[in-house]
Amino acid sequence: MKYQTQKIALAYFVVAMALFAVQVTLGLVMGWIYVDGNFLTEILPFNIARMLHTNSLIVWLLVGFFGAAYYLIPEESEREIHSTKLAYLQLAILVVGTVGVVLTYFFNLFEGNFLLGKEGREFLEQPKWVKAGIVVAALIFLYNISMTVLKGRKTAITNIMLLGLWGIALLFLFAFYNPSNLALDKQYWWYVVHLWVEGTWELVMAGILGFLMLKLTGVDREVVEKWLYVIVATALFSGILGTGHHYYWIGTPGYWQWIGSIFSALEVVPFFGMMAFAFVMVWKGRRDHANKAALLWSLGCATLAFFGAGVWGFLHTLHGINYYTHGTQITAAHGHLAFYGAYVALNLAIITYAMPVLRGRDPYNQVLNMASFWLMSGGMLFMTFTLTFAGTVQTHLQRVNGEGFMDVQDQLWIFFVMRFGSGVAVVLGAILFIYAVMVPRREVINPGPVVQDAAE
Amino acid sequence: MIRILRAWMILVAASAASVFLAMGVPSAIWLGAALIGLALLKARVILSDYLDLYRAPRVRAGIMLGFVIWALVLCALLAAG
Amino acid sequence: MPQDRTAPAVGADVQLPHDLMIWVLIVSELLVFCAGLWGFSAVRISDRAGFADAAAYLHPLRAGLGTMILVSSGALAAVGALRMQRRYLLGAALVGAGFLMVKFYEWRDLAAAQISTETHPFFTFYYLLTGFHAAHVVAGMVILAVVAARRRPAEVDAGVAFWHMVDLVWVLLFPVIYLVSA
Repeated sequence: MKYQTQKIALAYFVVAMALFAVQVTLGLVMGWIYVDGNFLTEILPFNIARMLHTNSLIVWLLVGFFGAAYYLIPEESEREIHSTKLAYLQLAILVVGTVGVVLTYFFNLFEGNFLLGKEGREFLEQPKWVKAGIVVAALIFLYNISMTVLKGRKTAITNIMLLGLWGIALLFLFAFYNPSNLALDKQYWWYVVHLWVEGTWELVMAGILGFLMLKLTGVDREVVEKWLYVIVATALFSGILGTGHHYYWIGTPGYWQWIGSIFSALEVVPFFGMMAFAFVMVWKGRRDHANKAALLWSLGCATLAFFGAGVWGFLHTLHGINYYTHGTQITAAHGHLAFYGAYVALNLAIITYAMPVLRGRDPYNQVLNMASFWLMSGGMLFMTFTLTFAGTVQTHLQRVNGEGFMDVQDQLWIFFVMRFGSGVAVVLGAILFIYAVMVPRREVINPGPVVQDAAE
Repeated sequence: MIRILRAWMILVAASAASVFLAMGVPSAIWLGAALIGLALLKARVILSDYLDLYRAPRVRAGIMLGFVIWALVLCALLAAG
Repeated sequence: MPQDRTAPAVGADVQLPHDLMIWVLIVSELLVFCAGLWGFSAVRISDRAGFADAAAYLHPLRAGLGTMILVSSGALAAVGALRMQRRYLLGAALVGAGFLMVKFYEWRDLAAAQISTETHPFFTFYYLLTGFHAAHVVAGMVILAVVAARRRPAEVDAGVAFWHMVDLVWVLLFPVIYLVSA
């Protein structure tokens, strides 16, 4: 660790991993609700469970991004973080807000209260005071990071990270607008969520991946920067108007079908670019970095993001296809692999890279970590395939044959059982990952002797 | 300078020829293909002489290959209509 | 890998005129418009007569005039970039305004006939593609004016390349939308 304030990242990563555990556990609970529809209906209704599963995902990924920024910004700008105190205050606000949301939902506290109660929305549903807290935390973060960057060295990575993080914060402001018209509510919701995950988050992803490649492969900064600018340009070009692929069936004018189809089809390009970038850097790089697990996560991230976000996204993004598949398990398949590949794996990559440095325990306990990669990724891929087949069957039965929703759900039961099994693998992988980065003090398996030329 | 002037004359002439073909010639199966062909010619001139790709013939060839594939699919779609 | 190959590897030492990023933009724009024209031609298969009727509302001659105006503006911009002279760059922007005039008359006539994006799929594509293009013309004029005022070589180069991209897109739109369907 070159800079003392990088230590801030440790607290963020720990909170992120705790929320990660909560998120996958709730995923498992929901997986069982799909198998046995009456499971926990009174205590934990499905809509609450789903809200907790998706919101804790978003929150832990964001906390991870904040941690990543606190870790890599000092190294990039060659400067200590502007204020340590503010960084911890920011984390405290986020934790209090998160707990507040969970409690408000679980017990439906302050029903109808403008400031303290639920807003009654399907998404972007936090009590107003939490929304305000998020904005305050974001402002503290932006102030802290921007001051650090402004005083220090400016690199392509810091520029892209700042652009992405400022975008994330500004776009969240749309969450305050709560129109009574449901179509408008959806329209603005996508301003937040789509322009996050298919715009600003991609910038953060490019920034973190660029940093990891720089450190792990030792490729020249110039080369990395050129790739990053191309990736960022194609991400913004396709992603912004790609929002149109959410506007097919919510009452917006028909031309959105073509804007959405064409631009979102191009969203494959930046994800392909990121995959190509990662592999080309590893190919060109001469550095043999000791942290093999971080490299595995980085390459896994770029690859699974391409398949989950790029290929599985393209699968149902054209409006002629989406007309049939909209809101089926195809969407769930895409959502799971895209978030896992692009953003979960990204966070786990930077955590895997940073944790040994932050805790001062090189060499790393990498074998368990790599095992967790294969267990988690294997589980997630199996889940994706299961849900894709479930979605295909569902599309045919429900949208082509016109059978009723619940009748079709009954016929998908076997897929939901298999999905639950894959979910178990993901949760075990997550637990193994957390154990691997938090607990063992040394490598669990001794490396063999170094052989100069293995072919002899 | 001469290069730009020549490019400009080709572009204007090709545009005039397109309008003449479309308005003056009775509709025929080859007409659409001829019009798309003129568009490809214009695209090549713009790439070469306006965008200076005459200095990078391999890049120009790559982009033109894309255009030709695009035009073939387009002609097939137009012919199917 | 041998280092002395005559054919350079991708991205290595290709003497690419203009900045790489402007080419990323040009290719991205081309992908969008070309995909749009594919969509247009594909939807036309389902309603050929309707497309022919709709296309009758457009004037090939007027659009051809617009094409000539735009490529002429491109020539001025190219000269402007070559000589780094303000009057050619501003002249290009001014001639570009002439193209927008032609567009304005076209849209005014269609609006007078109560034709909107929802009237027919032909017009959905027509308004989308020509509208997006016209937006780029407006943006290009602003860019030309700015780079002409500052006259910094790298900026002029990129601004003029953007303007040529606007030409390039138009010569593809013009025959497909105005001529082929009629």
